[in-house]
Amino acid sequence: MSSELLVQALLNGFGLAMVYVLVALGLTLIFSILEIINFAHGEFYMLGGYVTYYVYALSGLNYFATLVLAILTVGVAGVVAERLIFHDLRGKALNAFIVSLGLLWVMQAGAQLAFGVLDKPVPSAFSGVVRVLGLVMSVERLVVTLSAIVLIVALYLFLRLSRPGRAMRAVAQDPDAAALQGVNIDAVSALGFGVGCALAGGAGGLLAPLFAVSPAMGALPVVKAFIIIIVGGMGSLPGAVLGGLLLGGVEGLGALFMGSAAVNILGFLMVIVVLLVRPRGLVGGA
Amino acid sequence: MFFNEEEATMRIRASIATVAMVALVAAGTATRGAAQDKTLTIGVLGPLSGGAASYGVELVRGAEMRADEINKAGGLKVGNDVYHIKLVSYDHKALAADAATAANKLVFQDKVKFIIGNAVGATCNAVQTVTEPEKVLFSFVCWGTSNLGPDKPYSFRAMLSQWEVAEPFYRWVKEKHSAVKRVALISPNDTSGKDTNTAVVKALKGLGFEVAADEYYERGTKDFYPILTKILATKPDMLDVAAAPAGEGGLILKQARELGFKGAKGWTAGTNPFTIIGVAGKEAAEGVWSPTNINVKSDFVSPTVRRFGEEYEKRYKEVPGVIAVANYAAFDVFTKAMQDARSLDTDKVLAALTQKPFDTVWGKLVLGGRETYGIDRQFLYPLVISEIRDGKVVDIAQVLPAALKK
Amino acid sequence: MERRAAAPVAGVGLIALAAATLPLITRDSYYLDVATTILMNLTLTMSFRLQVSTGQINMAHISFMGIGAYASALLVTRVGLSFWATLWLGALVAALLAVPIGSVALRVSGPYYFLITFAFSEVVRLFFNNFFEGLFGGPSGLVGIPKPGRLLGLVFDGKPALYGLMAVLCLIVVVALVRLDYSRFGLTAGAIRQADLVAETLGVNVFRYKLTAFVLGSFVAGLAGVFFAHFRQVLHSSDFGLEPMVLLVVFTVIGGTGSVWGPVIGTIVMTLASELLRELHHYEILVFGAVLILTMLFAPEGLVALSGAARRRLRRLRGRAPAQAGAGLAP
Repeated sequence: MSSELLVQALLNGFGLAMVYVLVALGLTLIFSILEIINFAHGEFYMLGGYVTYYVYALSGLNYFATLVLAILTVGVAGVVAERLIFHDLRGKALNAFIVSLGLLWVMQAGAQLAFGVLDKPVPSAFSGVVRVLGLVMSVERLVVTLSAIVLIVALYLFLRLSRPGRAMRAVAQDPDAAALQGVNIDAVSALGFGVGCALAGGAGGLLAPLFAVSPAMGALPVVKAFIIIIVGGMGSLPGAVLGGLLLGGVEGLGALFMGSAAVNILGFLMVIVVLLVRPRGLVGGA
Repeated sequence: MFFNEEEATMRIRASIATVAMVALVAAGTATRGAAQDKTLTIGVLGPLSGGAASYGVELVRGAEMRADEINKAGGLKVGNDVYHIKLVSYDHKALAADAATAANKLVFQDKVKFIIGNAVGATCNAVQTVTEPEKVLFSFVCWGTSNLGPDKPYSFRAMLSQWEVAEPFYRWVKEKHSAVKRVALISPNDTSGKDTNTAVVKALKGLGFEVAADEYYERGTKDFYPILTKILATKPDMLDVAAAPAGEGGLILKQARELGFKGAKGWTAGTNPFTIIGVAGKEAAEGVWSPTNINVKSDFVSPTVRRFGEEYEKRYKEVPGVIAVANYAAFDVFTKAMQDARSLDTDKVLAALTQKPFDTVWGKLVLGGRETYGIDRQFLYPLVISEIRDGKVVDIAQVLPAALKK
Repeated sequence: MERRAAAPVAGVGLIALAAATLPLITRDSYYLDVATTILMNLTLTMSFRLQVSTGQINMAHISFMGIGAYASALLVTRVGLSFWATLWLGALVAALLAVPIGSVALRVSGPYYFLITFAFSEVVRLFFNNFFEGLFGGPSGLVGIPKPGRLLGLVFDGKPALYGLMAVLCLIVVVALVRLDYSRFGLTAGAIRQADLVAETLGVNVFRYKLTAFVLGSFVAGLAGVFFAHFRQVLHSSDFGLEPMVLLVVFTVIGGTGSVWGPVIGTIVMTLASELLRELHHYEILVFGAVLILTMLFAPEGLVALSGAARRRLRRLRGRAPAQAGAGLAP
């Protein structure tokens, strides 16, 4: 096996990892603030995909403008979901499981009803491929990865520097203490949920031209996101990035050596191994 | 305190939840309409929600179109009776165990004697454990080889499968495109994928091709760069997205092009060419050959197929794929056989089915397949090889199954 | 409280009575099929609740059902053992595998436990689907599994007989689990759920309790799996994947995890509703999703608590003082 092939395999794995990291960051942000796992997270990703389909593919708005619109739309949808059904569920793992599952079903069936059952293609915004030293990557994937990195950095700065961002971190660390400091927990929860969903929506918008959109498209990224946050550690942004790169690398290389269908087992084995060695994930704190 | 507020809220909440549950049950009961006299109930099964939903939805729509046509024309005349056709379709979510329960419901609750339509190989096995002992005629589009056999006399495949199309398709490739020597296959990791690759590999070896790669991916995969990197390293002349559904097949072709693949392209188990063109894009889909695609908009198809396509699109706002057409034809064949048999007795209908050819949207159709399955339960009809040119599907050759040449 | 002792006996009696009368009312194969499925799911949800009662959501529960099913199918078809031996052997295999898996998984808790068990379940499913195809049937599934053989002159080839067998199995499990729930073990489990640390400082070996619940639950799941294999006669890895597992959680939580009777109510109500709504296609999950959300918002303790609330209301209407808020089976 040539070394070129190995590097290409790694590149394949890393290629879209940052987009899945976006999905994972949304999930882990919501978990940090509300202490619940939102199973319908992939459905917000799907929503972002359909916004892109209708606004960019059908109406012809600029790709990046559409992306911003997708992020905002899904963010608002997230805030609404939090206000209507999630705000009472802080820390109630079982109830949140069932409620978010219900939301998943409603959104998926709703999408099938509203958008049709067939895959809907979204044309590529960028054509051509980049070839360096015999390695290949499409311009489209490059743009998508860069956009995802920009969004991750933006999230980092938002959480570090802005007032609402700092309030979110305070609530994530200790809701009671944050409340005592005058942080409006209700507002922060709603905003945090919205931002979390918006990240998924952005990821959906980014991948729509690569993968087309369909009502069930949310299942795959959410499973990847689970693996990423467990490997990296709940609530850790650098952990998620590390987890994403690890998962991408393992899957990319694994595809060379074993049947592609069997490769999926690697991510789950990685979860088990990591949790055995470091029960809080690679970067997870106390 | 005049009244306990918490208790009151509890009560209101409890009542709302109760009402919701009652409404749920009531909604279910209400769907069971009043029975009309002389009604023939026919069942359809399939995945109608989740990732494989498009298969099931096309099955139901195909059956629905034919049933409505018959009802509008005054019903189905069988012997001296005229029947109004009622369709009952259940979602089994592509789960085997659920399919068994759904089949039980059709057979024992709805008293269905004919189940026309099912997809997803593993669910077919489960349904057959119910239909075979009860002598219920069961037709499906599952591509599992084991779904037909002498031990399953009441089961039919209403669509050409890999065993019928792979050999004639690659014989055509060999004759018309002699530059193709090494073929790479990629299919989803399920019954239809495994059996399709097996059939294609057998055909390829028999015809003197080389098999460059024989690969499987997990259904639902979107990023094919890893597996394609491995496949393209084997330098194939032709890439066959064998049993991939339209959406995934389109992604494979698109990504293969990005990775620099310029060879010939095939789709042995083609389903919906319009989706594959849309998803792959015009350039990546250019030149795809398929022996099973149906192009309802082609100038070559019969006027009935074109009319079916127009009606379908008007009604459902989507273009029909091969599964919709197949189940429409299957419905047609079974109802005609009932008329021929002048009875709804499944043994008599079975006899009528195997007696003579039928005129269908496919053209002439017979039941055959004894050499492959040991029993004549496979629908055979002319196979049309098509090529995608500039975003359009062009029919370029027709191959008659041996059974139809007689 | 005198009700504590009365409730289980009455509940078990009620289930036994209902199970026994059904074949007298109908011999319709569909009804018996659904009833058998309900009883099978009951053993699964009740054993699942046993683990939830220690505060953990075990997403690999369905995998042990799969392990029992595949083990028994292979032992019968390949080794030639009798169903009546593999019924226990299959369950035993599931329990044995549960020891190492549980020991690993239970080192973490909360969402980490949830996700590590999910990872285990996917590993098991992908293993059945992609490895040793000659043995497990791979993506095509395993077919031709025989029905249970004769036992003491009884034949188990019809729906009524299989229903009877499942009813007996289910009753054994229910009696065992209910006894457990009202025993010292159940009380300790409740204590662990409410306060892990407090229980630990009081000298309870929390890990051992959780592992015992895990292995015991897996044994019961394996038992249900063996029955499933020979009842359905075909096996496919997706029968033990995320979707059926999620349904188990739904049945249990909608019923209410606070009481041993929660899963009973949840399983029966949800399975019946799902059968009634089957022909609604994707509207079914639309309606179901909405019902899940509403139920959890308005009856967060599950349907069992609802019946408690209703009973209190009934008592008040009759002019009696509200009695203790025991969460028993609906009268």
